[in-house]
Amino acid sequence: MSVEEQVRDIVSRIAHVDKSIITREATFKEMKADSLDIVQALVAVEETFDIEIPDEEAQKFRNFGDFVDFVEKEAAKKG
Amino acid sequence: MSPMAGKVRVAIDAMGGDFAPDEVIKGAVMVARKGDVDIILVGREDVIQKHLEKQGAPPDLVRVVHAAEVIREGEPPAHAIRQKRQSSIVVGVKLVRSGDADAFVSAGSSGAVASAAATYLGMVQGIERPTIGGGFSSFAPNVVVMDLGANVDCKPHQLVSFAIAGTVYARTIYGIDNPTVGLLSTGSEEGKGNELAKEAFPLLKNSGLNFVGNVEGNDILMGKANVIVCDGFVGNVLLKFYESIGDRARVWLMGKYPSIKGLVSFLFDRLVPIKKLSYEGEEEGSGILWGVDGVVRIAHGACRAEHIVHGVVAAQKAVQVDIVGNLKKEIAYLTEQGRLDKGG
Repeated sequence: MSVEEQVRDIVSRIAHVDKSIITREATFKEMKADSLDIVQALVAVEETFDIEIPDEEAQKFRNFGDFVDFVEKEAAKKG
Repeated sequence: MSPMAGKVRVAIDAMGGDFAPDEVIKGAVMVARKGDVDIILVGREDVIQKHLEKQGAPPDLVRVVHAAEVIREGEPPAHAIRQKRQSSIVVGVKLVRSGDADAFVSAGSSGAVASAAATYLGMVQGIERPTIGGGFSSFAPNVVVMDLGANVDCKPHQLVSFAIAGTVYARTIYGIDNPTVGLLSTGSEEGKGNELAKEAFPLLKNSGLNFVGNVEGNDILMGKANVIVCDGFVGNVLLKFYESIGDRARVWLMGKYPSIKGLVSFLFDRLVPIKKLSYEGEEEGSGILWGVDGVVRIAHGACRAEHIVHGVVAAQKAVQVDIVGNLKKEIAYLTEQGRLDKGG
């Protein structure tokens, strides 16, 4: 399973939103994810990929695609 | 539970609450001295040790786990639990997750405790959001109200998950076999109330729970239903109103009948202490956080040492009766019956 699919799975499970809605262009607001959903998703992704997502980086994510790009980059560093 | 002693291990947030760490540590020492529960104090080690010495606690009475940071009231909860990963709340919740503690009790920021528990313990499948429930013990000994403030804005299906949690509460804590569930509304007939109540009614009716329909404010203390379901906005207003009744009754009686002031004072201050009019024993000062995959109890910010004792004893009981396991079983049963939709 690709990083993007894994992240989509996590977001879908936590925000209770259908995977089809979670496109690369979708914003958290469009997914109706609240602040707790976002934090839960960030922590779950950090733990799944053993990476850290600093808040200042997370605040730059404009949509799901930005989130995935960051995770892919950090996960690649881990090898 | 601790495999060696068989005792329930309760982690306590030493830094959380208006009167922390003094009152929290005092309460922790009081309950630890009873000897039937293992206490783990979580917070700044130097501060905790100083207060333990002040309490005259022997060195091995409690275990201390260091947590360098404190989440203050007013900090945005979801943000704070990521910013302060070494806070007493996050470290305490993680002790439950790692299995080093069986339960966590905190009088710190309710939002931060709920967020940390949902994030690090995860939610029980079928429950979307944590909920705080509690009983109105003195006047209505077999009634539990859900939600008492964790979710001020709710979706209709969330009220069903509150009803499930309340049913498990009434069954496991009060020992009621088939608890009745009522939806708090402004009229007893179906169709009365706001949009939330109207939409939640058919979901509860078809939930497979022992739903008895709408209940009104005056039905709560009459015990018309064992589980009263409402959103956290209404529940919190209700809770604080209820808590104020005893004290207000005392003040009113003293003003209205000055000639019997002494009798009123004797009655309310000594014979039946004010708090006993609204809460008794374990119900006083804290409530279980339902829906998270572990035992967490949130205490009032203004709680004192005796409330910490009540909270720990109640957390111990929640572990012993396996409230989380019972909640999972109830949800599994209702799901199997096809009673629950995806939202819970």
